[in-house]
Amino acid sequence: MRDKVHDGSDYVDGLSQDDELSQALGLLDPAQQDPNYWFRFRTWVLSNASAELARRRLMHELTVADVMSSWARAVVSTAALAAALAGLLLVRGADASALQPVGVEELLVSEVEGETIPTLLAPATNGTVAFAAEIF
Amino acid sequence: MSLEQFDIPTDGDLVRRARRGDEFAFGQLVERYQRASYAVALSVTGRHEDAEDAAQESFLVALQRLDECRSPERFAGWLMTIVRNRSRNLVRRESLRHTDQVPPGARSLVPLPDRVAETSELRGMLREGLAALPEVQRQIVLLHDLEGWKHREIADRLGLPSGTVRSHLHFARKALRASLGGMLAGPDLKRTAL
Repeated sequence: MRDKVHDGSDYVDGLSQDDELSQALGLLDPAQQDPNYWFRFRTWVLSNASAELARRRLMHELTVADVMSSWARAVVSTAALAAALAGLLLVRGADASALQPVGVEELLVSEVEGETIPTLLAPATNGTVAFAAEIF
Repeated sequence: MSLEQFDIPTDGDLVRRARRGDEFAFGQLVERYQRASYAVALSVTGRHEDAEDAAQESFLVALQRLDECRSPERFAGWLMTIVRNRSRNLVRRESLRHTDQVPPGARSLVPLPDRVAETSELRGMLREGLAALPEVQRQIVLLHDLEGWKHREIADRLGLPSGTVRSHLHFARKALRASLGGMLAGPDLKRTAL
């Protein structure tokens, strides 16, 4: 198939090149029947390898900065979306808190005019909601 | 002399460049080992078409797995393993297909009829003789006597001891000569080749 180059190492042990047999085996070389065979062979391989080679070139040309920037783009957009969602929730949360009733603590620390503690704890007030507080 | 002395890139150089998508480097690897790949594939499949398919596909598989080639300098041996495995898989897949086809291009030349018959007969006898050999002997005799690899190259790339390679080559040649009989002493094979 190719030009045979020998450095003599195959001859020292008495197992030299068998020219007759090599010549006969040459019949199995496709290039003997089609001189362009190996060119077409290589062309086919390279043609079918082009996509993988292009992918490898792309992967190699990507720098660390490229990777970071592509990563940053994704992070920034995700962060912006999260911030928008958080803002929306905050706004809705503020509206909901306005509807909440006044807490017990607020009632206790503010002055409630009218009934005193003994009155509130009287049997007549059974079944009603009452607040008791001791103010010093 | 080493390849570097002639500014010829080593297999390791080419593999490293091919890993980066260098088409020229990968093309160099294909050119360097396409014949050996075909010879190994032919030794397993015994058929031109199957050997061609297996050898070509092996290069594509090798490219996809190039990062798994742990020793780029030993690319040839790694590739030959892929070729052998692909060829064996192909034989298993196509075990039902037995038709013997003529290699492409055979019909494009029109030699003299008697030489056509003689060469076809010799090619048939070669195939039969090779088929009778153990696979490893087929690989060795094709790589040595067809592709021109040296003993130590075959030993290194097939992962065999050098003495074993020489022994296999000796027995393969003996068996092939026996199966070819007096055909080897015939007319100039190169001129009669189809």
